[in-house]
Amino acid sequence: MNLKDYAGISEQSDIRAIEAMAAKLAGRTILHVNSTAVGGGVAELLSRMVPLMNGLGLNARWEVIRGTKAFFEVTKGLHNALQGKGKQITKRMWDIYESVNGRNMDRMNLDADYVIIHDPQPALLVGKKKSGNWIWRCHIDISAPDRVVWHFLKGHIEKYDAAIFSVSSFAQSVSIPQYMMHPSIDPLSDKNVELSETEIAEVFNRFNIPMDKPILLQVSRFDPFKDPLGVIDAYRLVKKYHNCRLVLAGGAASDDPEGARVLKDVLEKAGNDPDIHVLLLPPFSDKEINALQRGAAIVLQKSVREGFGLVVAESLWKGKPVIGGNVGGIPLQVIEGVTGFLVNSNEGTAYRIRQLLVNPEMARKMGAAGREHVRMNFLITKDIKSYLALCLAMEKKGESVIYL
Amino acid sequence: MAEPFKFYECLALTRLMGRKASDIIEFLEIIGQISPESIFHHMHQYFLRRHVIAPEFSNDFAVWIADSLGERSLAEGVANLNPYEFTNIEDARKELIRIISEHLKIYPPPRPAAPGKEFFFTEGVSFLIPTGLEAKDLDEFARRIKEVDGTSIYFHFYEARLRLGKKEDDFSRFFEGLGRTDLADKIKAMDPYMYSTEVLRNKISGLVEGLA
Repeated sequence: MNLKDYAGISEQSDIRAIEAMAAKLAGRTILHVNSTAVGGGVAELLSRMVPLMNGLGLNARWEVIRGTKAFFEVTKGLHNALQGKGKQITKRMWDIYESVNGRNMDRMNLDADYVIIHDPQPALLVGKKKSGNWIWRCHIDISAPDRVVWHFLKGHIEKYDAAIFSVSSFAQSVSIPQYMMHPSIDPLSDKNVELSETEIAEVFNRFNIPMDKPILLQVSRFDPFKDPLGVIDAYRLVKKYHNCRLVLAGGAASDDPEGARVLKDVLEKAGNDPDIHVLLLPPFSDKEINALQRGAAIVLQKSVREGFGLVVAESLWKGKPVIGGNVGGIPLQVIEGVTGFLVNSNEGTAYRIRQLLVNPEMARKMGAAGREHVRMNFLITKDIKSYLALCLAMEKKGESVIYL
Repeated sequence: MAEPFKFYECLALTRLMGRKASDIIEFLEIIGQISPESIFHHMHQYFLRRHVIAPEFSNDFAVWIADSLGERSLAEGVANLNPYEFTNIEDARKELIRIISEHLKIYPPPRPAAPGKEFFFTEGVSFLIPTGLEAKDLDEFARRIKEVDGTSIYFHFYEARLRLGKKEDDFSRFFEGLGRTDLADKIKAMDPYMYSTEVLRNKISGLVEGLA
């Protein structure tokens, strides 16, 4: 995996900028820490970004915190509360959160020039900060958090040197510098690399999904914020007019115990409709997701809360129009009427699906515009460029124009 | 002999200010207080980005007033503010405040933005990357300007002039150094905020080739 592999795909100016900045940062140590090695967008991104950073002459590594089932129940609660839809976090829960972070602090080597802590789960590791620049990278939507939970967390976040949010509306009133960086997809990963028609058909065949009619697809964790039940409702509204299939595909992440409960609700609602296919994908299903996205006619991401929703960029990259919820980072990817449609209800979702099903040329044009939009804005090279720029900005605090 | 022209490419890291405006009054108050970098950023980031489809207006303020407040006539007034008429950001800020204040004397304030659609203030930290490309004369300049990225056009034209407080853009200054004030005058007479960087590149390139 090498930066040169992206020549001809990414913007050439991005590659030049990365090389120039990496030369300035050669030998610096960068540590990324998150809460899961597999499942979820963060792990996926780090698995690609860390080797690429090393290939640029940086000394990058990636560590994962260890947690108990109880810890991940707590952090899922925190995650939901920060996204404004949580239950009360009890004192016992806070104690679990602190003690697991404390044990990881004792266990982990957190020495680096730049320590980048991803999301709330390992956020308290900043308690071990002695030197280096510590950056909290928040991937979730905290634009309207539970105020008590945010009050508690804010005290810890302000110990960092900077915070990064995916969308400007997620910014908070905190005393540390805040930056905006969109997350990204890797066009050369198994999830996004080109596949042949045979490879696509093989995956559909393996899942027993006939490709005999248009396929609507939503790929997401089984999470209430992704509204899989609303997707089924929208599909049923469409089904009155158009013969199509619905595929709901999601994985289970080790830090997401709520998933099983939502999956049960989805299976109940799907009932015995032979045209609804609910797939629980194991980790390392990247090629399968790639094929499902490529085989779909329309991709949905009907979230009611969303961090960034990178699955949208993945689908646009494959030339598919996307119908997405008007939340989080989705409007940055779905340009209304250009790369897809933004929707606010089950009825709106159904309407846009019907519109695209009867206008395949419109769907094709939107898909093509979507791929170009992603190429220009959401590829991994943009993300690496932003991280390197942030590292340099941390070394030149207060400067707003930096000559390399 | 004039210094050779050194082409830089540019990237911006977006810094979030943690301030947002829900309605036009709040917006006006923050505009009066926010950093000049933020005013500059919202009037220029359009030119630094590439678009599959260009937004209706090139300045973020006008887009927000039109899309989130639904106040089309004010959006048009703000969009028509031409930063090229100013040599420093404070003057552009004053004009922006004047346009909005005058509007509010005549019309009632528009409805507030829906939650999540407030105006979020940001500013840019710019990184300038030497391309190694230089031009000593017009012939060389005409070749090199076709080789650099659009961000280079952005930096030398918009950012060098208004953000770095120079009286003119880098291209005009270089042409004047070569004694070609005719060319500099033609560049200065353009209406640059109506062009994308690609169109601006073609315009400048065409002028240089026509007059070289």
